[in-house]
Amino acid sequence: MAVKRKIIKERVPTPERPAEERIKSFVEVNLGYTFELAVKEAERCLQCPYNYAPCIKGCPVHIDIPGFISKLVQYRDDPDKAVKEALSVIWACNSLPATTGRVCPQEDQCEMNCVMGKVGDKINIGKLERFVADYAREKGIDEELLFEMVPKIEKKGQKVAIIGAGPAGLTAAGELAKLGYDVTIYEALHEAGGVLMYGIPEFRLPKSIVESEIDKLKKLGVKILTDHIVGRTVTIEELLEEYDAVFIGSGAGTPRLINAPGINLNGIYTANEFLTRVNLMKAYLFPEYDTPVKVGKRVVVIGAGNTAMDAARSARRFGAEVIIAYRRGPEDVSARVEEVEHAKEEGIKFEFFVNPVEFIGDGKGNLKAVKFEKMKALDERDSRGKRKIVGTGEYVTIEADTVIIAIGKHPNRLIVNTPGLKVERGRIVVDENLMTSIPGVFAGGDAIRGEATVILAMGDGRLAAKAIHEYLTKKRESKNA
Amino acid sequence: MYKILEKKEIAMRNTWYKIHAPHVAKKVKPGQFVIVRAFKNGERIPLTPVMWDPEEGWIVLIVFTRGKTTARMAAELKEGGEILNIAGPLGNPAEMEKFGKILAIGAYTGIVEVYPIAKAWQELGNKVTTLHVTFEPMVVLKDELERAVGRHLLETVPIDMTKSFPENMKNVTKRLTEKVRELLEKEEWDLVFMVGPTGDQKAVFEVVKEFGVPMKADLHPIMVDGTGMCGACRVTVGGEVKFACIDGPEFDAYKVHWDELIARSGYYTDMEQRAMQEYMRLMQQAAQGGE
Ligand SMILES: Cc1cc2nc3c(=O)[nH]c(=O)nc-3n(C[C@H](O)[C@H](O)[C@H](O)COP(=O)(O)OP(=O)(O)OC[C@H]3O[C@@H](n4cnc5c(N)ncnc54)[C@H](O)[C@@H]3O)c2cc1C
Ligand SMILES: Cc1cc2nc3c(=O)[nH]c(=O)nc-3n(C[C@H](O)[C@H](O)[C@H](O)COP(=O)(O)OP(=O)(O)OC[C@H]3O[C@@H](n4cnc5c(N)ncnc54)[C@H](O)[C@@H]3O)c2cc1C
Ligand code: SF4
Ligand code: FES
Repeated sequence: MAVKRKIIKERVPTPERPAEERIKSFVEVNLGYTFELAVKEAERCLQCPYNYAPCIKGCPVHIDIPGFISKLVQYRDDPDKAVKEALSVIWACNSLPATTGRVCPQEDQCEMNCVMGKVGDKINIGKLERFVADYAREKGIDEELLFEMVPKIEKKGQKVAIIGAGPAGLTAAGELAKLGYDVTIYEALHEAGGVLMYGIPEFRLPKSIVESEIDKLKKLGVKILTDHIVGRTVTIEELLEEYDAVFIGSGAGTPRLINAPGINLNGIYTANEFLTRVNLMKAYLFPEYDTPVKVGKRVVVIGAGNTAMDAARSARRFGAEVIIAYRRGPEDVSARVEEVEHAKEEGIKFEFFVNPVEFIGDGKGNLKAVKFEKMKALDERDSRGKRKIVGTGEYVTIEADTVIIAIGKHPNRLIVNTPGLKVERGRIVVDENLMTSIPGVFAGGDAIRGEATVILAMGDGRLAAKAIHEYLTKKRESKNA
Repeated sequence: MYKILEKKEIAMRNTWYKIHAPHVAKKVKPGQFVIVRAFKNGERIPLTPVMWDPEEGWIVLIVFTRGKTTARMAAELKEGGEILNIAGPLGNPAEMEKFGKILAIGAYTGIVEVYPIAKAWQELGNKVTTLHVTFEPMVVLKDELERAVGRHLLETVPIDMTKSFPENMKNVTKRLTEKVRELLEKEEWDLVFMVGPTGDQKAVFEVVKEFGVPMKADLHPIMVDGTGMCGACRVTVGGEVKFACIDGPEFDAYKVHWDELIARSGYYTDMEQRAMQEYMRLMQQAAQGGE
């Protein structure tokens, strides 16, 4: 690596739809790189050595980032080959790159650590990952790679049940299928994908992309039983009779509500209900699609995570005036930077240091306004490093006909109530191998973490698959012995 | 995909579907429901298995044609065809205890949800009387109920064509409350149970309350997922927020905040009407085009 390279300080930007245009539709906002632009950006990478590369350390699943980026440059004269090579590097650690390329908080992970940041802009790793996945999908290169993989799989003759088809469950299923296990996913909803389908909106993650990632799993032999609710349709005990191991990837689906008067007024949605209606049920196409949603003229979204941004930006696309109300300050906003920027560009306003205390109705059961207490921050910090906040005793009232509550979620109660399953503060407790208190039952993703991220859920899926493989190998060997 | 083994109109606006859904048939208990999504661009709606066979793997749904989704089901689903999604069973099974003498009431198609519960209560040794109040042409499950419980009472109201539908419905509510009052005055009861429109449930509860008889009701808030993940179905019960799909659907009628539930159920009425009008317009267009 003695070659002297010229450092290009500025990022090659990805084209985006202008804000005025995009608030009128659910079409994807970011348009992604072309091959030429991707190569230009890839050339900026310093190719830090594998053992040192700080971007890899920042990635929760340790993708060989310089490794995949270098392929784009190395085979620049043969785009198909470049992408195929890059994709197989990514696939070694991450089976859903089209998704993670779009939704990972790169600024807090790989890109946070990138050494280019010391001299200029950090490498746009997320968009490069997304480019590789998109190009491969459009050209059928991912199919090609898959076809080369499938015949090499050696069947193990053991069965694994996966609960939930979100990123954790899908990843565990994929890894286990590649290892030769017979895998069946039990999914409560009518579509697989978890939050990727029902939560994250089309303009950020097109559903056709999630569907194609799931199709690949089916090609690996994974069976998906939708409409099957574990805890009702079948219990974990029953699954253990039929399967050799079980993985719980049921997420954190139960919405947290605000304990304030008026919470059940019409016009108050949980973000989950609102986003499910909009994304999974396509309420933005009502009445062509049968499911309605009501978005008033003035919408207040409570919370400031990714869920809040998605709800706010979705509401904006129905023509509403939207305010994000958060009880802390701007430095504690937990959403991805790109989403916050997009939200601002789209005309969404932010109110900080306000905490809802009452929802005021019109006397007919409909919401009219929200009463907030003004908050202030102290110097003291809480266990998560956020500044503590206290009420000031001053109040403000904001008029609103729709409120969307996005203040977090708990794991699904139907699973958590399984006898013998150890749970603390609503989360399933696991050991370092992600095994729960029930032998042979593993868990990962939001079900054990509370609300986390797609890539962490996938990381758990991979780790659990490895642990399940070891567990089942022992089981197999002791049977044969 | 779930195959429709049988489909027939068993009374005006009441359609019977026998469907192959082994995952539900194997598990379902009286009091539970399923969520059905019949069409690709369709809505998810809750419906109740009325009968089932775990060995043969079928369930029966009886559906009242109400708005667009149920109208589409009646018009577009075919015997031998398929329903896209049936998730379940959902909700908690009805409490199976020896309560004693029970009055189990169903208004309109609500009686089909009463049927499996009343039948199981009777088999358990309770003395069950079922009361069905509906319009004359909408009587369902008469013979089945007469066979299943101690006494089946049927009260019908004629449809007065000179009056609007809401006016007609008022007559059903009137007959319903009068009949309940009469039964409570004449006899001693240990429990009243009711399924039917929320407004009628409240009206009946007002009567039952005067007599102080315990009352349970299966609630029908609007639902989306039915698994506790959306919060659409929330109701205030005893001052606490409950999710009807995982905490219910059965609740103590004395604790339910009825007015809130009624207001919440009507939230989409204008949009539902719009969807229905649009659907009827398309149907008319198709009919004209076909001539
Ligand atoms: C609106 C929104 C936006 C987000 N944006 C981002 C983002 O930009 N970047 C990011 O990294 N993270 C984001 N997150 C967080 C991320 O989506 C989650 O951390 C991740 O999806 C967790 O994956 P999981 O597989 O554990 O669970 P989930 O994705 O929640 O999937 C769980 C699945 O299990 C099913 N299930 C639940 N209970 C049962 C049961 N009893 N039986 C059968 N199936 C069951 C559910 O239906 C679901 O399909 C966002 C979350 C939300 C809600
Ligand atoms: C637990 C439960 C069990 C039920 N079982 C039966 C049954 O066995 N047979 C039967 O005929 N009906 C049953 N219903 C009612 C049935 O779900 C509604 O009639 C149906 O959703 C109406 O849909 P629609 O599009 O035809 O009418 P719409 O025009 O959309 O609505 C008419 C009315 O139906 C109710 N409704 C609409 N959408 C929903 C929804 N997603 N969830 C709940 N209520 C809704 C509302 O009160 C609304 O005002 C049940 C409801 C619940 C909650
Ligand atoms: S840290 Fe930045 S420059 Fe170094 S390899 Fe990773 S992406 Fe390239
Ligand atoms: S229907 Fe969604 S929580 Fe009950």
